Amino acid sequence: MTEDKRWPRLGFYVCHCGGNISDYVDVVKVRDALAEEPGVVVARDVMFACSDSSQNEMIADIKNLKLDRIVVASCTPRLHEITFRNVADRGGLNRYTYYHANIREQTSWAHRDDKEGATVKAIRHSRAAVAYARLSEPLESIKAPVTPSVLVVGGGIAGIRAAIDLADAGIAVHLIEREPFLGGRTAQLTNSYPQDSKGSEVAARLIAEARKRDGIAIYTNAELVGLDGYIGNFEARVKLNPRYFKSSQAKTSLPEQLGGEAPSKFDYGLSKEGPVLMPPFSGAYPELPSLNMEACSEDCARSISQAYGDAVDLHQKSESLTIRAGAVIAAAGFDPYEPKEGEFGYRTHPKVVTLQQLHRLVELKMLKDVHNIAFIYCVGSRQVKTGDEDVNEYCSRYCCNAAMSISLVLLRMREELGGDLRLYHLYRDIRTYGRNEVLYEEALKKEVVFIKYSEEDPPAVSAAGGRLTVTVKDLLTVLDDKLEIPVDMVVLVTGMVPKQSNDALPQILRVPKGADRFLLEVHPKLKPVETAMAGVFIAGTCQGPKDVRETLASAQAASSKAAGIALMTQLELDPFVASVDPKMCNLTKACAAECEYGAIEFKEFPGLGEKAWVNGARCKGCGACVAVCPTGAIQLKGLSNEQLKAQIEALGRKVEI
Amino acid sequence: MNIEPSIHEFGGSKELPEERHDVMVVGGGICGMQAALDMGDMGFKVLLVEKEPSIGGVMYKLSKTFPTLDCSSCISTPRMASTAHHKNITMLTYSEVKEAIKEGEGNFRVRILEKPRYVDSAACTACSLCEKACPVIVPSEYDGNLSGRKAAFIPFDTALPKVAMIDLDNCIYCGACERACPVGCIDFLQTPKLHTARVRSVILATGFRLFDAKLKPTYHYGEYPNVITSMQMERYLSPTRPTHAIVRPSDGKEPGSIAYVLCVGSRDDTVKNPYCSQVCCMYSIKQAQLLMGALPLADIAIYYIDIRAFGKGFEEFYVQTKAMGVNFVKGKIAKIEQQENGDLTLFYEDIENGGRLSKSSHDLVVLAVGIMPGKDVAGIFKNDELKLDPIGWIKSPDEAGSPMVTSIRGVFAAGTAIGPKDIPDSAVEGSGAAIDAVAYLWTLDRERTGAEKKGGPS
Amino acid sequence: MVMAQQFEPLILVLSNTPASDPGIDFAGSRHIHYPAMTAILRIPCSAMIRPDVILYALTHGFDGVCAAGDGPECPYLGADCVTRTAKRISEAQNLLKEKGIDPGRLRMSGVCSVCGEAFAKCVRNFSNDLKKLGPQPKPDKPKSGAGADR
Repeated sequence: MTEDKRWPRLGFYVCHCGGNISDYVDVVKVRDALAEEPGVVVARDVMFACSDSSQNEMIADIKNLKLDRIVVASCTPRLHEITFRNVADRGGLNRYTYYHANIREQTSWAHRDDKEGATVKAIRHSRAAVAYARLSEPLESIKAPVTPSVLVVGGGIAGIRAAIDLADAGIAVHLIEREPFLGGRTAQLTNSYPQDSKGSEVAARLIAEARKRDGIAIYTNAELVGLDGYIGNFEARVKLNPRYFKSSQAKTSLPEQLGGEAPSKFDYGLSKEGPVLMPPFSGAYPELPSLNMEACSEDCARSISQAYGDAVDLHQKSESLTIRAGAVIAAAGFDPYEPKEGEFGYRTHPKVVTLQQLHRLVELKMLKDVHNIAFIYCVGSRQVKTGDEDVNEYCSRYCCNAAMSISLVLLRMREELGGDLRLYHLYRDIRTYGRNEVLYEEALKKEVVFIKYSEEDPPAVSAAGGRLTVTVKDLLTVLDDKLEIPVDMVVLVTGMVPKQSNDALPQILRVPKGADRFLLEVHPKLKPVETAMAGVFIAGTCQGPKDVRETLASAQAASSKAAGIALMTQLELDPFVASVDPKMCNLTKACAAECEYGAIEFKEFPGLGEKAWVNGARCKGCGACVAVCPTGAIQLKGLSNEQLKAQIEALGRKVEI
Repeated sequence: MNIEPSIHEFGGSKELPEERHDVMVVGGGICGMQAALDMGDMGFKVLLVEKEPSIGGVMYKLSKTFPTLDCSSCISTPRMASTAHHKNITMLTYSEVKEAIKEGEGNFRVRILEKPRYVDSAACTACSLCEKACPVIVPSEYDGNLSGRKAAFIPFDTALPKVAMIDLDNCIYCGACERACPVGCIDFLQTPKLHTARVRSVILATGFRLFDAKLKPTYHYGEYPNVITSMQMERYLSPTRPTHAIVRPSDGKEPGSIAYVLCVGSRDDTVKNPYCSQVCCMYSIKQAQLLMGALPLADIAIYYIDIRAFGKGFEEFYVQTKAMGVNFVKGKIAKIEQQENGDLTLFYEDIENGGRLSKSSHDLVVLAVGIMPGKDVAGIFKNDELKLDPIGWIKSPDEAGSPMVTSIRGVFAAGTAIGPKDIPDSAVEGSGAAIDAVAYLWTLDRERTGAEKKGGPS
Repeated sequence: MVMAQQFEPLILVLSNTPASDPGIDFAGSRHIHYPAMTAILRIPCSAMIRPDVILYALTHGFDGVCAAGDGPECPYLGADCVTRTAKRISEAQNLLKEKGIDPGRLRMSGVCSVCGEAFAKCVRNFSNDLKKLGPQPKPDKPKSGAGADR
């Protein structure tokens, strides 16, 4: 030990977290153990380290005790590392010299069965954080320019709403939609609650608003295939699939021979569609048809040429497009749950339909002579896990309200349907939360019979003797017998599932999925639209089931966050990137071969010759290069090999309590 | 606090020089803080007005939050700190907006009354010596009257700003606090301050009020000591709890059998609230889980009509709670009667058994009170009508397009100001209202300059 | 061996910031118990693990090292992360063999951001296996503090 190189002066704070930590970890022992560590000038235990008064106390300590570093042992760094870096900042220290010990999520909460073990572990983690901070060097954040535009993935109501808000805030927007038309699943609804408006009108109104704004570039038939870069500077690769139709002069009526026999996606198979897809609702965009070439034979191509002439170009090829954006909003939507064949008679009986199909049946005016309809709730939701197979344990949130709302529509249509109408709702719990309760209240006053079934004894649907019958045990009567209800139609109240065609999306966006397989937010309350990938936000139902109103609200929240990035002139990024000590580099170039981002370049250093050099703006700080450098010349700023070993030594050292 | 002075009563109070801000956010709960932070981060100047002495709203009082069980104060206190320290946010606490007059698009003149704390906030160091010296003890609002506070007091540990105040209604003018204060910051002669500001837009995040359980006389809240509200139970379960154990108020006994009565003041036309309050099922389930940890031997029964576990992770949490042994009874509680020993008899319609009337006995009853529209904010807009729904929630004229706009252009509303909802949805709407306000300001600038010239933060 | 009954192995978990560390948090938030004789060290990505760091741990108080991998959703390296981490681990195991240390003291496990159960199970199993191996000999002269000889 040399005389002049003293330890940095350290302040250590251990948090009780109001019992969350101190009920299982003896924080006083932690405090006393850490007071013994070299360099620690002050060690305190505090009730809430994150509270303003504790923060001020730390700042006062920095000033009064001339501290150079502070370390806090509390909850996960994901909640408060930034909070305490800000404290270091306000106290006049370099924010990146701060280090954090996780003694709640990774200690007190995990070892409630072993208080002594938890205390020992908390001491280990705290010692390691102190060992790290002792060796931490002041660092400066990396300044990067920001691309002042946002990419919105998905052209349903969430994506369109976000695009409108961003455009109004003066930000350029690229809106991409994989399908040929904007509007998403909302456009397929005959009615949406609680404002009781037609889904296609809701969508059309938003589409019209978006089209009024110059700042929104809309791409349909456009698929996101890759995303490079980082917050502030993303580069998206988009595949533009050919539409073949290029002019709005195209006739709106189809030549008869192009009718086609494929089940229509927009009508959930209730109508047929051919290779030419017409705009599916009034106000749809683009107003151009789109040709599905896969479904188009040579004959078909010939007829199309004849019928549409110059309005089509059958030689169009798919193109690739690169979009640069400062932030990305994923508004990629959901799929309705598709019941298995035979599940409550689905696909074995033509009069068993899903809730989504019922919307189309009403919209297409295909409902006639129906008098008795049974609604079976929670189909594909609130499932109980029995084996290894993925099930939907979650509640789909919107379906009770939607079933109630469309029932009121049916009751209003009574005359059209043939007069006498009786609706049976077979439910587990009615979850018409919030204002939707008035829908339930209204249904209760009308010809709707509510029957509560148990998940252990679900209703059975049979078509024996040509008569559709639902058999169910009503939990709300004392009768032992099951009810047998002859009906004309069964509606399966199907929930929402993650969109199947989005399977690749989590990987492309590098955003994790939750246990329910929907995209996962960082924290439901603190960061409800943020994801693990900085700069990528989630909106609408790709995050989990939501209704129209909730979808719009979450889209607006995501656009607020994205605007926060796109409106910045420059972004400050954490400086935790690799760097090379040119004197130690012996030019094996192993690092460059390992780097996924092309961040390592080779330069002439005066007096040293050619050596490796890291481009900080490109480096993401993964450390893959660190692992392969034979001399240890390349190291991470903020986690040097020496800091790693010092932490290991501190963690492995014996603890006496 | 109960001080409700009008502007005119304080005609003599000093009117402060007019301030200018891009937006006024009314309400410093989780939603208002989120809106303020988002706009502040985008470079807009924010005036945040909170009527209570501290920002934080209701969330900071809660124990843990459903369905993740993370501790509420751990989540809200840093949010409070970053709001208070934000360079673009000016905070006015213990202050009420009295008037907001729209004089044109992007131009609201607002008058805000800052109530006197009788303490010089700038000088107070929150040493709490005044609190120790004060001889007067009154029930603590923060703890739902389960504990006491002094007449000279700091509202709560993590209050922001952390400043002492004197409750003059209960003060006996003994001067003990004044003598104890080391910096001489106590000032009994303080008068209200009238702030005038010009703001370009307004976000209403004024929150909700809890249903007053006394309006359901058959439950005898306020009369039977062992009938408490869910908010009082939150305090019992909170890390900053008033007592170290959960005890029933009448005799300090540890309860062995606790009943939850759901839908108190919700789904109930007799109290003019037909809506479901959206949070009571889940907070009751959460409290039941926490109680099972705190009182491992206690039986917990939840009397419900429908369990509304609809949000992300809620159903899974409900299933887990059932498996832990909480007894869910589908039944509507008709009335509660007190027995001689303080225990309570619940009379209920046993819905799953043919609706016959049943009885059960518990030693503590928790009323899961619903949430109601907050204090009327429409009144502050003197020249324009802020439209409300029949129950009194602020109503968007375009819910299926722009759920956070209001009937007044340039005024936005979010969180529980526009309907019952939980914390995640409130936070989401706070951000959403922020982009609405930003879009409004940029659009105005474009309309004004008539060109592509960029507007944005003033 | 008499020791074997009381021996609680000390495990170093190298946890990556984007996936495993939230996964280990998740275990704690759900109160899923696993042995407290674990120490968790955050690193950006499991592909940065140097074999000499593993050797350092096994000669500085640890009986086992668990490398918690990011898995294919690694934000840095994508699916390639698994391959690269596996390569680093097998290099480290060769180094351990060279130094006469049982390579079974090093284990790799994928821990995603909601893999709390999987993590706890892995640590429990690893701990049991290490009990069979017995304690890893400690260094002769334990240091009193990090860099105390500096």
